[in-house]
Amino acid sequence: MAGGPKALPSTGPHSLRDMPHPLAGSSSEEAVGGDSTPSPDLLMARSFGDKDLILPNGGTPAGTSSPASSSSLLNRLQLDDDIDGETRDLFVIVDDPKKHVCTMETYITYRITTKSTRVEFDLPEYSVRRRYQDFDWLRSKLEESQPTHLIPPLPEKFVVKGVVDRFSEEFVETRRKALDKFLKRITDHPVLSFNEHFNVFLTAKDLNAYKKQGIALLTRMGESVKHVTGGYKLRTRPLEFAAIGDYLDTFALKLGTIDRIAQRIIKEEIEYLVELREYGPVYSTWSALEGELAEPLEGVSACIGNCSTALEELTDDMTEDFLPVLREYILYSDSMKSVLKKRDQVQAEYEAKLEAVALRKEDRPKVPADVEKCQDRMECFNADLKADMERWQNNKRQDFRQLLMGMADKNIQYYEKCLMAWESIIPLLQEKQEAK
Amino acid sequence: MEQAPRDPERQLQPAPLEPLGCPDAGLGAAVGKEAAGAGEEDSGVDTMTHNNFWLKKIEISVSEAEKRTGRNAMNMQETYTAYLIETRSVEHTDGQSVLTDSLWRRYSEFELLRNYLLVYYPHIVVPPLPEKRAEFVWHKLSADNMDPDFVERRRIGLENFLLRIASHPILCRDKIFYLFLTQEGNWKETVNETGFQLKRRFTDLKHYSDELQSVISHLLRVRARVADRLYGVYKVHGNYGRVFSEWSAIEKEMGDGLQSAGHHMDVYASSIDDILEDEEHYADQLKEYLFYAEALRAVCRKHELMQYDLEMAAQDLASKKQQCEELATGTVRTFSLKGMTTKLFGQETPEQREARIKVLEEQINEGEQQLKSKNLEGREFVKNAWADIERFKEQKNRDLKEALISYAVMQISMCKKWGLTVLPRLILNSWAQAVLPPWPPKLLRL
Repeated sequence: MAGGPKALPSTGPHSLRDMPHPLAGSSSEEAVGGDSTPSPDLLMARSFGDKDLILPNGGTPAGTSSPASSSSLLNRLQLDDDIDGETRDLFVIVDDPKKHVCTMETYITYRITTKSTRVEFDLPEYSVRRRYQDFDWLRSKLEESQPTHLIPPLPEKFVVKGVVDRFSEEFVETRRKALDKFLKRITDHPVLSFNEHFNVFLTAKDLNAYKKQGIALLTRMGESVKHVTGGYKLRTRPLEFAAIGDYLDTFALKLGTIDRIAQRIIKEEIEYLVELREYGPVYSTWSALEGELAEPLEGVSACIGNCSTALEELTDDMTEDFLPVLREYILYSDSMKSVLKKRDQVQAEYEAKLEAVALRKEDRPKVPADVEKCQDRMECFNADLKADMERWQNNKRQDFRQLLMGMADKNIQYYEKCLMAWESIIPLLQEKQEAK
Repeated sequence: MEQAPRDPERQLQPAPLEPLGCPDAGLGAAVGKEAAGAGEEDSGVDTMTHNNFWLKKIEISVSEAEKRTGRNAMNMQETYTAYLIETRSVEHTDGQSVLTDSLWRRYSEFELLRNYLLVYYPHIVVPPLPEKRAEFVWHKLSADNMDPDFVERRRIGLENFLLRIASHPILCRDKIFYLFLTQEGNWKETVNETGFQLKRRFTDLKHYSDELQSVISHLLRVRARVADRLYGVYKVHGNYGRVFSEWSAIEKEMGDGLQSAGHHMDVYASSIDDILEDEEHYADQLKEYLFYAEALRAVCRKHELMQYDLEMAAQDLASKKQQCEELATGTVRTFSLKGMTTKLFGQETPEQREARIKVLEEQINEGEQQLKSKNLEGREFVKNAWADIERFKEQKNRDLKEALISYAVMQISMCKKWGLTVLPRLILNSWAQAVLPPWPPKLLRL
């Protein structure tokens, strides 16, 4: 199945089953034994085959590099780690944003397509339209009904009108991607994906009617946690949860810093772009004065123009793909910290009640039912949270790998575009003037 | 390069100005005499009077247009339109006009006349010609140069052109213009003999050096700003280094990958210094030609000075010759102090006159010698200057191409370094290994 380097596959993760081993390269005797993973340099040398990717310093200007070489490699590395792909029985997609103009307001709806073989779904396929506030409603319902679980974040609700155009293509697309991610995260969750509200969200023709009914289908857990009275102060957080709390604090802090730096970079790049857009045309002006140099100078002007466009695309990608994910994870961390706090409260209540019982020094050997309930609650919460944390860590790794590699890939594409532009004018500069 | 001189007075001189009424003028001697008769003191000085005479006395019309065929410079058949120019002098006694000259000219000759005027009267707003090709055509209007309507409109435009020149106080006195109206054959050769095309070359060169200087300094200014901004972009990336490193400290599986990313950012940020230093070499190469433009200008200036010197000498000579002739014939047309005093204080004696004539003749001889040598000098200068300018052009084209190539090569190696080497290696070495879980063996393909 591994042939030569293929044409650029479409972006997005591919199932491992559909792809040749990404590092298999062009030669077929890739004896990558099943016992050990080859060393990176070996892999790299093999995978690029006869394409001289590892260039000596100051390689010849003659274009030997194929523009597809680096980024197609990375595309192949965008793996879908979904090992349980075989067992997935629920697929949800958010797409097709549409603008609705009504007398009172203007808003966007998105199409939600669901395919499932689960018994909880009457039909194998559903297609509904939802707007942001429906998503918001879903999220609160999930928080309410599944308080022991980590609920994925939604993209920011409020945008300052006048600063951001709520109906611009870029904004809508960024939002759509985030909403899609939101639903996919829920879909992947073994507990949340079976939530009744989620089911209704995906399937109901008229969601508003359902909302109005105020059917609070709380799970047992939800019900019980709901009644946890606040006011109990936890003395010490257990080590493992303290570690999680510390981790999330630092994590959110670092992401915040990265976000600020990224914004600064974008700002600097935009200012650089402004100057580039003036720089290129001066070569054109010069070209108009010259005879033999006219074509080369015009070529340089066009080349700089192409590089400017490539940079603009890179900057847009950073804004549209990189920044939103950072912000998403910051929001995620915040909501996770509140869940931790809730867990603390459950534990605090339990410990307080336990203490109260101990202090009463009654000779009832049996622990009262309500204390038992508290313990139960706490242990379930701890278990759910631990499981969710592990799942979250795995997903986070995947998301950030994809994010960082994606950004690196975009950068590579930028350099490839610039490279092509500059290489194309070398022959122009070297050519001898024929007698005109 | 340039033709052998025929007439020192015509070679490398400004537009030969012939005061009206001069024996050489030939245009309606009657007219000249009229002008002279009007007042001896002021003829030759009062341009307004001449102007009015010119307009009053002469009528110019482009009366007909005719399609012709002929062979062009490359010996190919071509079709063109010829226009009939008629000049009439009006007898101011009875208002009747008499045809004095008529000849046929084609559009390219009008162009030649105008180009000549542009070079020799750079300070004058020279009237424009009607359009060469039909532009600004609306839907139904024909764009064909042979179209009768176009030709008709052009005829009117050409007539207008000639009338504007004739009514211009300075341009109307130009000899080449006069010849255009009167000398059908050989006129082109006459114009070319003025060497105006050569003069234009120097004028063009001066413009070129001015514009080169302007464009290169603009380029250098913007490049500096670009470099400044690029520096900013690279340096801000350096801020990533620390935060990625700190982040990596709290991560387990991702730690190495993030550490690598941070390190990469530091390397990236520090690479800008070398990049910009290399670019400075390119800037220096451009600067050299910025200063070269100044040197070009110096050559043009020298040429201008020599020209001016030559013109002054020629004018001086012409004026002396005239004086001499007037003294000899007894007619006084040019204004001279002696003439004035003669009027006021009585005629001079024949002996006095003879003496003056002798002096003038000596001066004229000297002047002619000087003019000859100045001309020679001028021609030598032009020949050598132009040869060197051609050499300079070749050198400039070579050098600048080299500079652009090395600039491009610089950019290319930078793109290759980051895009094809560092980044992919970073991804494969750090992230593919560190961030991914180990390859599930069952999914490895062979």
